[in-house]
Amino acid sequence: MTPDDRDPPRLTQPGPRVEVVPLGRVNLTAAHVVAGNLQALLGLAARVGEPRPDPEEALVANRGQYDARVVLEELAKGVGAPFRLGVTAVDLCLPFLDYVFGEAQVGGRAAVVSLARLGGGRGAAGVPREVMLERLAKVALHETAHLLGLTHCRAAGCLMSFSETLERIDRISLAMCPGCRVDLARRRRRIVGPDG
Amino acid sequence: MERQLSILVVDDELAMRESITAWLQKAGYQVAAAASGEEALGLMERHLYELALVDVKMPGMDGLALLEQVRRLYPETMVIIITAYGSIESAVRAMKAGASDYLLKPFDPEHLMLLLEKVGGQRRLLQENLALRRRLSEGECAGFEDLVGRSPAMLEVFSLIEDVAATDAPVLITGQTGTGKELVARAIHNRSERGFAPFVTINCGALAENLLESELFGHERGAFTGAVRARRGRLEMADGGTLFLDEVGEISTKMQLDLLRVLETKQFQRVGGTATLTSDFRLICATHRDLPQLIAAERFRQDFYYRIHVISIPIAPLAQRSEDILPLAEHFLDLYAREAGKVRPELDDQARRVLLAHPWPGNVRELRNVIERAVIVARGDRIGLAELSFLGTTAPATALPRSLAEAELAHIQQTLEAHDWNLTRAAAELGIDRSTLRRKLNRAGITRPGGGRR
Ligand SMILES: [Zn+2]
Ligand SMILES: [Zn+2]
Repeated sequence: MTPDDRDPPRLTQPGPRVEVVPLGRVNLTAAHVVAGNLQALLGLAARVGEPRPDPEEALVANRGQYDARVVLEELAKGVGAPFRLGVTAVDLCLPFLDYVFGEAQVGGRAAVVSLARLGGGRGAAGVPREVMLERLAKVALHETAHLLGLTHCRAAGCLMSFSETLERIDRISLAMCPGCRVDLARRRRRIVGPDG
Repeated sequence: MERQLSILVVDDELAMRESITAWLQKAGYQVAAAASGEEALGLMERHLYELALVDVKMPGMDGLALLEQVRRLYPETMVIIITAYGSIESAVRAMKAGASDYLLKPFDPEHLMLLLEKVGGQRRLLQENLALRRRLSEGECAGFEDLVGRSPAMLEVFSLIEDVAATDAPVLITGQTGTGKELVARAIHNRSERGFAPFVTINCGALAENLLESELFGHERGAFTGAVRARRGRLEMADGGTLFLDEVGEISTKMQLDLLRVLETKQFQRVGGTATLTSDFRLICATHRDLPQLIAAERFRQDFYYRIHVISIPIAPLAQRSEDILPLAEHFLDLYAREAGKVRPELDDQARRVLLAHPWPGNVRELRNVIERAVIVARGDRIGLAELSFLGTTAPATALPRSLAEAELAHIQQTLEAHDWNLTRAAAELGIDRSTLRRKLNRAGITRPGGGRR
């Protein structure tokens, strides 16, 4: 842990930095787990906002999935906290990609994570709930770091490495590699306000 | 961290184009996008992309037409074709037309990642092999005829080639860079009973250890990250023919041991594989290094050395066989005049003297390059001093440098010419470091003729 991770940044204005938005029929506990992790591990003040329906505009009828980019456009609308992180239960995709676990506007306002696939793997019964929530926290932290401007990293086990499978999500840690930690601290200071 | 691939996304559909671009940027790649084949070609004129992701269905120039143009104009750029489900036949056509791979919309994220890793690996391989491939394509039609020489040293080489071609014994060819070791290897192969089977070459000095291993032994699907499909190694490809290991002095002792086992048992396995494969090949190795010296330094295995140099063919540097200079020059004049569609020029007396006086640190390859350039710049049917001016003007016998300092400068200039003004390589050849060379050049006021490009 770097000193930056221990000392939360002094904020220039009061109020939460990230609004975690429960979408559709997603469980509120999941949203609270996400908010807690953002606060504890990224040092970003987060609160759970009002639940909203999944944006119908994003539904790709022939695929039965939601276009993650359209979800982000809808989430980004309106005033409030500088960053918004949607948590949904529907399956997300991109026009060119089969599925995504989460998606973010790099350096932008909105990110989204989906629980739809996170319960899979390890046999037909799926995984215990706490494993699913840990996966959710990893994807949420990863996507939120994208909002701060971080891109993918190739360091083994780093939170910012691209995880295209559940096995890879399980292998990465909740922490970032030293390089990404420095990058995160710099960007957070610039965006969230002066830090010391 | 290594530099990331530079990728061009070509798709007429805005949503596809934007989302692929954003995704690749997030992954850290340098990405540009074009909405049509025409726009893509415009961008490619200004920047070399290592990879192009091309949608097959576009109005105007479609993906296959663009693929064809890219293969012709930018052969270094790999093309991956994007097709929709149900149009698999266009993917097949694209693969036949030289696409590196294809992706079905929507892509499987796992497949996409593997593909990008594979392209990254291939690009490294390509760069490392570039020099080798250039040399091979130039020497492609090399039979015995392309080895030119009438010096006693070369006549000895010719007779050795005749003798060893009739056997199946391993051969070690030694000699400085540029002396034509691969031509000798090819001549042996062509004259041997294996002449109709493949002549498979690999430059051991150009590849990192793990790449060399998978190049030689092949690998199974999934043997390592990026091994999307199984691949045959050069050992397998050489079955029935000849395997030519160039720069054999560069391989690690561990790899030497692996190869030693193959030579002894004629059996091996692909990387990540369990099946035992056999291959019947004749081994020819080449090196510019002093292998006994490497053995003394424990950087080369003695047992492997004994195995590969059953017969050895040393090739003398060109400077030690000046009788070969003019016949070689005449040979290259024929070759390049024919290639350029020009009247074959003749060397005048001064040109002959310049060529004979030159020390040829780059050996036959340097002479070949000099003649090629002379043919290009020659205006009439004669090659004189003017056409060889880039060789340094101090060479004619009548104008030998007088002082030691002048001789040193002349030698430095010639060495630089031989290495195309690459200071690092020239300094290495001169046995001084780069900064010393630079200092000497500055002091003497020597600059690259025609301005420095580097
Ligand atoms: Zn990401
Ligand atoms: Zn990292």
